[in-house]
Amino acid sequence: MRRLVVAIALVGLFAAAASARPKDQAALYKSGEAKHFTTAEGVELSPAFVDYFYAELRNELTKSKLVNEVIGEGEAVDDIDAAKSVVISGTITEYKKGSVVKSALIGFGAGFKSLKMDADVVRRSDKQNLCALHVHVKVDPRWNEKVMAKGAAHEMVKEMKKALMEGAKPPAPEATKPS
Amino acid sequence: MAPLSLWNRSLQFATATSLLLATGRVAADDPKPKPENTITIQLGDPVPVQKFEHPPKFWISDVTDRSGNPQPMLVLKERGGIFLDKQPTAILKESLEQSLKAVNLLAADQASADLVVRVYLFHFGLASGSAMDFFGKVEFSGMVKNPKTGESQEVKATGTSIANGAVRKKNIQKNLQENIEAALRDATRNFVRGTQLKDAVAQLYKPGDLSAPPPAASDSH
Repeated sequence: MRRLVVAIALVGLFAAAASARPKDQAALYKSGEAKHFTTAEGVELSPAFVDYFYAELRNELTKSKLVNEVIGEGEAVDDIDAAKSVVISGTITEYKKGSVVKSALIGFGAGFKSLKMDADVVRRSDKQNLCALHVHVKVDPRWNEKVMAKGAAHEMVKEMKKALMEGAKPPAPEATKPS
Repeated sequence: MAPLSLWNRSLQFATATSLLLATGRVAADDPKPKPENTITIQLGDPVPVQKFEHPPKFWISDVTDRSGNPQPMLVLKERGGIFLDKQPTAILKESLEQSLKAVNLLAADQASADLVVRVYLFHFGLASGSAMDFFGKVEFSGMVKNPKTGESQEVKATGTSIANGAVRKKNIQKNLQENIEAALRDATRNFVRGTQLKDAVAQLYKPGDLSAPPPAASDSH
């Protein structure tokens, strides 16, 4: 009986340690600054959308734990920390309003609202481009455009995390084929 | 007087009912501030101000509301309304002064200040977001002026915050308060740690030139 209790306690401890590990993982960068995205010519989106997307992007960046601190646009960063600081800027390249009629009649994603955006993540100190992101989001035309901003911000940070994690990985040792 | 027909009576009843309903709706649409639907917005800990090469003494002279909002203290109209306990201009002035005072950058009075800041508030409170959450936004600009030379420069600041939506009124109130406080903190931080303020201070305040007379109008590049 006593052994069983000890075994259960040990399993519980290991499980807690395993679940705690990803949370304790240190962030890749000390600070991150998101800039307001610009809109390409012909993109008919309100300034309120760009504002909301900026706020959502910052929110998602905080949640992702990719950076320790999300700073506001145009905030000063100490020179010592500049090498560990990233800046995200981008452009909304395409927006299609979609069609409720098409969506209702055809279905299968036809008539959905579509949003395409490109973004660059650069290191603050030397302006080196760390990754270029291309995000394409499609949502139901009946949904509010702010919901689309939420989805786009989520997708953007997911792509960014993936790209930066891959970039941060040490290069895999070359496999040598036996001759 | 002839008795009213059934048609006339029902018409009168319908008119009276619709009038009563309309009055009720107007009353419901016009929430009043009460202690239970009023929130207090505070900055909390002072925001750390950036380091300046030659630290000046600031003075926040005035905060002007330029939001065009007829009810600046009403944060949320639905669910009986949620109000601020103070004017947004007073809250913003307090938070800027608190942060500057914490690092000894606030002058005792306007006469002894090196740089005087006049603030214009453009947005304070909720902005239009997705229906699922609260989107808090504080936006203002500060006109930083050197009273000795008369030169001035504009510094813009924005703070945003997104908080989860809620169903219960108590939770709505709590989330809103946290959301606006976070947006206020973010905007204050954006102002006192921004490169725009750094540039403005570098351009407007040079301790060595304090005794120099105001520059003549010329092309200063």
